[in-house]
Amino acid sequence: MEQPFSLTSELRDKRLIITTSGYVNNVGGEAIAREFQRHFENGTKEVVLNLAQSKVVNSVGMSFLIEIIEQLEESKGKLVFTNLDPAVEKMLTIMGLFEFAGKAATIEDALKSFARQK
Amino acid sequence: MKDPVVLKVSLPKIPDIELVAVEGLDRLARHLGIADGKLGEARILVTEAIINALEHSGNATVNVEFTMTTKELTIFVRDYGKGFEVASVENPDLQAKLGSKHKRGWGLKVMKSMSDDFKIESGPDGTRITIRKLLS
Repeated sequence: MEQPFSLTSELRDKRLIITTSGYVNNVGGEAIAREFQRHFENGTKEVVLNLAQSKVVNSVGMSFLIEIIEQLEESKGKLVFTNLDPAVEKMLTIMGLFEFAGKAATIEDALKSFARQK
Repeated sequence: MKDPVVLKVSLPKIPDIELVAVEGLDRLARHLGIADGKLGEARILVTEAIINALEHSGNATVNVEFTMTTKELTIFVRDYGKGFEVASVENPDLQAKLGSKHKRGWGLKVMKSMSDDFKIESGPDGTRITIRKLLS
């Protein structure tokens, strides 16, 4: 059974990497947004969201990510998703999130994509 | 080919109860020998249909029925809540959501887009959602 939601985060070269585990529901989505906000207020504008351990998500949880995208758009920042399960990737595509966010196979690829934009 | 398997469950409105249905779906699939990789979208469809019913029906219980073969899954979700006008539900658009306070409202769009057949009927006696998803 899908595990309860949890997350970890780390900063690498001022880039925030949030890694989730378990079901991303409304509580999970809110926790991701809260973690982002904490770092965004300190100037972090490049964010990787690693969903490798989250195979089940719901649209309520994902809608919290729109808040993140909104703030990053206004500050010329960027959100990149990594390690997406194909079904989760399809859901994000349906919601249109990749019009504003990137996707990469791995965390390292995501970090490289930020470097290429410089 | 194995016979279709059917699972019927009545779910109370408690946090994350939709995961019970997802667990049931996984067990049916294992029984039929369906690879885990073919279930990802089915899991999301089940989740969306149940949370939609629990959130919007105003009712405390949702009935869920799965009929699964090795080829396809039919998901039937029934609530006896107040119902709603299906035609009045707006098609969400991300551009419009940016800058808006209301970020939610994606469930129907996700279910319609991800399923192979989708039907919703709603009235004063509640709402019925029927979803067909090919598993091959």
